Amino acid sequence: MADAPRFVVHFDRPDRTYDPLAPIVVRYEVHGLAAHDTIRAVEHSILWYTEGKGEEDLGVHFFERIIEQERLPPRTTGLGFESVLPASPLSYEGMIVKIRWCARVRYFFAGGRDFVSEHEFLMGGIPPARMPETGA
Amino acid sequence: MKLQRFFGKKRGHRRTGSQAWASFGDAAFHASLLVAGLLFGGLLLSGVAVPEWRMNHQFQPTDAVVLGTGVVRRRVTEPTGSVTMTWQPTVRVRYQVDGRATEAWSRSSRSTITADRRTAVDSLTRWRLGTQVPAWYDPTAPGHVVLERGVNWWMWLLTLVLPGALVAFGGSGLLRSLGRWGKSEERCAVPGGLTWALKPLASARRQDPAHPAVPTCDDHVNSPGTFLAFRLPIDSPESWTLLGIGMFAVLWNAVLVVLIVNAGIDLLGGRTDLLLLGLLVPFAAVGGAAIMVFTRRLIVASAIGTTQVEISGQPLRPGGTYDVLLAQGGAGTLESLEMSLELEEQATFRLGTDTRTERLVVWRQPLGSWHAVERTPGTRFEARVTTTIPAAAMHSFATEHNAVRWALVVRGTTPRWPPFTRVFPLVVFPAASPVAPATILPAP
Repeated sequence: MADAPRFVVHFDRPDRTYDPLAPIVVRYEVHGLAAHDTIRAVEHSILWYTEGKGEEDLGVHFFERIIEQERLPPRTTGLGFESVLPASPLSYEGMIVKIRWCARVRYFFAGGRDFVSEHEFLMGGIPPARMPETGA
Repeated sequence: MKLQRFFGKKRGHRRTGSQAWASFGDAAFHASLLVAGLLFGGLLLSGVAVPEWRMNHQFQPTDAVVLGTGVVRRRVTEPTGSVTMTWQPTVRVRYQVDGRATEAWSRSSRSTITADRRTAVDSLTRWRLGTQVPAWYDPTAPGHVVLERGVNWWMWLLTLVLPGALVAFGGSGLLRSLGRWGKSEERCAVPGGLTWALKPLASARRQDPAHPAVPTCDDHVNSPGTFLAFRLPIDSPESWTLLGIGMFAVLWNAVLVVLIVNAGIDLLGGRTDLLLLGLLVPFAAVGGAAIMVFTRRLIVASAIGTTQVEISGQPLRPGGTYDVLLAQGGAGTLESLEMSLELEEQATFRLGTDTRTERLVVWRQPLGSWHAVERTPGTRFEARVTTTIPAAAMHSFATEHNAVRWALVVRGTTPRWPPFTRVFPLVVFPAASPVAPATILPAP
């Protein structure tokens, strides 16, 4: 996709691993915005979602929607958001249920289209699940 | 001009499909259901409910003289092309309207329409010619007279239930669609606001307030134990199976009884329906088998006896050590009895039009195993063990379609009966202190 914007995201912890109840700071830069791309709104969120065999469940911990033009690119360059993580759920790599945490940035353009950029991080230190029979 | 896209890649960095078009399709579907419900309800109200209400509240009372009786014949053409006749009794009466004599055929409710002419004729025997009977006429159309009033509850129920279901389903769906209109999935999932309407099942799930997506342990702490602090509730798959088989046996045999009664009435009336008699044989076999299976399982459940598990603390935390008491009632010998601590993942997904749930035990720690357990009536087998939740263990997790569940599982075998399994769910909260760096969960 030649005209897709490119996001460079920086977490305040380089290993992107956080404890529950820890503060999290996300900064990002956006490149490749076309001249005709008029940004209508930006949404920042920190959320978890499930992956695996089941239908996806999703829980939003932090959400903000910015519509003021003076706070939107290209007028502003200091883009980012921060929050304090909740106590649960912790990131989990199960066999048929996985829980992932991520920061999402969603740009809404004039004309109804939007672009979403998702960046995973870990919360907690739960090791991957294993089958009891394998013992591996 | 670019065409709108309805679907986008599931993850990663991407342009998404049009939220507005997806919302439009959803809203159009639910709006059509809502409109159909309103139209259907309007037709029933104007055609049935309102005339009946007017008849009961606005018609003027009068005395009428019965002049004659008859039946109205109607020819009904079925969609298949076949033609049937219906018959409705009616009475010719003379009555006074503002001092002026009026004659008219009475109008009966639709419930008097029958496909059997004799039934319609027989119902007229109570109207004797020349007798005076109470009547009610429509003041706006004096030729419209009825000899009976009342409420047709069945029709009112039909009026409320069918269109009401369409209006409720279509209206709530339309509200949901409008609530999502042009919004991202994150915005729709933000707690509060319209979340209860957009995802009623998810918002109704009981979560611990301090621990999102962790179920509460209210049901686990409201029953004190005999020796330890809490008695755990049981979630036995065998109990649900027993209940399911019992309900199937009752429903199946109820249908069987209806068929037998019909066949008996036919035989007494000198008619023999060979198809019905032929169907009764396999139906009776299935019904008998269902009763036998249910009775056997009931006897097994009673013979094995009750299982109780108590625990010293709630809620459980990774790294915590807890005393567990197993008590097994009943009489006789158990070949073996074992208890384990298990971690199970549960995923619910749709496959076509089916909704399926897959369960997988991903961690199991045996807590105790006993053999040749002798039980005598009046006393119960008791065993006390200690268990430790691994420090790096996953906490309990429950959402609409996915779950990670902890449980104490008791399995037993008997010389006479099939093996049994009884499950006692636990709730494990996340560790109170920050989690240590990832390590491999210790092998049980």
